[in-house]
Amino acid sequence: MTTLSTSPADVPANRHGRDWPVIWAIVGRDLRAIRRSKAVVLPMMLVPILLMVVLPLVIGYAAAQASSQNNAALGFLDAVPDALAAEILAQPPQEQLLRLVLGYLLAPLFMIVPLMVSAVIAADAFAGEKERRTMETLLHLPISDRDLFLAKLLTSYIPALAVTWGGFAAFTVVANAVSWQYVDGLIVPNQLWLVMVLWVAPAVAMVGLGVMVRVSARASTSQEANQLGGAVILPLIFLAVGQSTGLLLVDLEVSIGVGALLWLLALLLVWRGASRFARDRIAAST
Amino acid sequence: MTPEPIITASGLTRSFDGRIALDGLNLEVQQGEVLALLGPNGAGKTTTVRLLNGVLAPDSGRATVLGLDPATHGDDVRRRTGVLTENAGLDDRLTARENLEYTARMRGYSKTEARDRVNVQLDRFGMHDQADQRTVGFSTGQRKRVALARALLHDPDILFLDEPTSGLDPSATRDVTDLIGSLAREHGRTVVLATHFLGEAGRIADRMAVLDHGRLRASGRPEELAAELWDGIPADIDLGGPPTTRVVDLVQSLHGVLHTVPRAAGLTVGVRDRATMAGVLRQLAAHNIDVFGANLRRASMEDVYFALEESFTTESVS
Repeated sequence: MTTLSTSPADVPANRHGRDWPVIWAIVGRDLRAIRRSKAVVLPMMLVPILLMVVLPLVIGYAAAQASSQNNAALGFLDAVPDALAAEILAQPPQEQLLRLVLGYLLAPLFMIVPLMVSAVIAADAFAGEKERRTMETLLHLPISDRDLFLAKLLTSYIPALAVTWGGFAAFTVVANAVSWQYVDGLIVPNQLWLVMVLWVAPAVAMVGLGVMVRVSARASTSQEANQLGGAVILPLIFLAVGQSTGLLLVDLEVSIGVGALLWLLALLLVWRGASRFARDRIAAST
Repeated sequence: MTPEPIITASGLTRSFDGRIALDGLNLEVQQGEVLALLGPNGAGKTTTVRLLNGVLAPDSGRATVLGLDPATHGDDVRRRTGVLTENAGLDDRLTARENLEYTARMRGYSKTEARDRVNVQLDRFGMHDQADQRTVGFSTGQRKRVALARALLHDPDILFLDEPTSGLDPSATRDVTDLIGSLAREHGRTVVLATHFLGEAGRIADRMAVLDHGRLRASGRPEELAAELWDGIPADIDLGGPPTTRVVDLVQSLHGVLHTVPRAAGLTVGVRDRATMAGVLRQLAAHNIDVFGANLRRASMEDVYFALEESFTTESVS
């Protein structure tokens, strides 16, 4: 018969640093499972495709029809700061619409992508575990609360950034393809887009995550989490798109500042979520 | 010298939203022992398993598992324990093999080690044919087998099994019960078996602990508890029909017979020891009373449990 020791000296020491192989194992499992879940993948892909591929094609078509008598860009120029409006009005009619919509107006709207993707996956990663009744199994594994939280965070954050940046890459190709015959040089990426995609979008994704981590603690299914999260996130989207369009459009410093504020909000939300992510609390609620 | 218990609980208490789920549990489990943790739903069995694995923290009291306090060294405890939760907890978007391999990876094994360990378990449970199917269409029995394989991946020193055979057909139940028994007997593993199924628990458990409304009401070997509950050893005597008053009086008057209960096919008697039983049979033969069979039986875990449950009900009514 095997003899077992009960001496604590035989037990592997408690690890204080991050256990990265274990964290990546959880991320790997979750990402593989998410890829197989149509309910998660379809909404996650649909919005970026509409915004980043279909919309630029429509704008390209509208630009091809534009003339000095029939110029759709004029309708949008009221919402744009005077300096930018004057700069755009100096261009030929076809270029006006392309520069305005593809170069500027779509940038804040694009923030819906990281927000939505991170929120949908976070709902699945946190509340979905409860719904599938797999959370208890995870809690019985030798993974610290922090590592588990970090793994779940990465599970949501990595696809959010991948879809955002992949979507932007597709947008860059489509936007330049539809505008090459009317515009000299590349229409995107410009400075505004780079700030939005590399600085503001990652912050927005983290805000979505932070909201869903909090919401998921109360929800018992990912659908419920999405509904609760949507109630918080949708007004934010409308507020952001409605209020900040003019500000974010041209002023890089303002865009960077807004990004910084979003980072602050995101880190606060995530930090609070992490402090409440305790095994005991989760087990007591499952 | 008595070896140090592998699990101890001392005054372990936990409540949820003001409702006490476990109330001052005192318990010891020795290495290699199979302990049946019995009790109705809501008795505190799952809470006990969670507290002993550091998944929940106690409100008061203390536990040690493998010499470690699960409340402060939860990860170290969980590294050496395996838990089968009541719900199999499989991710149905993954295959059986993926469910197992990811768990092995989460336990810190390399890809190659994880693959090897999973293959060992798939062999053990005869599941190679279903290994690469998603678990979504699996029967309860198949799910339990995958979950049990997952709990055994890392050769745990202590196995906590919450309702391991619920939903299994009789043959699968026997296989799982035999496996649990062999883990303890041949491999020195300690098993804590939380279950409603008294028959299977009786077959493999050395000791039983009965919880009721979060309190430990009894613990010990079934025969010890039986001795506390009843005087003597129960025995069934087959007389081929109900006994006459003369027969009942005769048996009752014999030395060492503690009580007699007439039955449709004969008598159930309580005898002080085996020698008394021999004397009863001799006397019946001497009085030309036909005896078609006699069975001196050990009280089963089931007998003991139901007697205890009845005593709790009587206590709560009074």
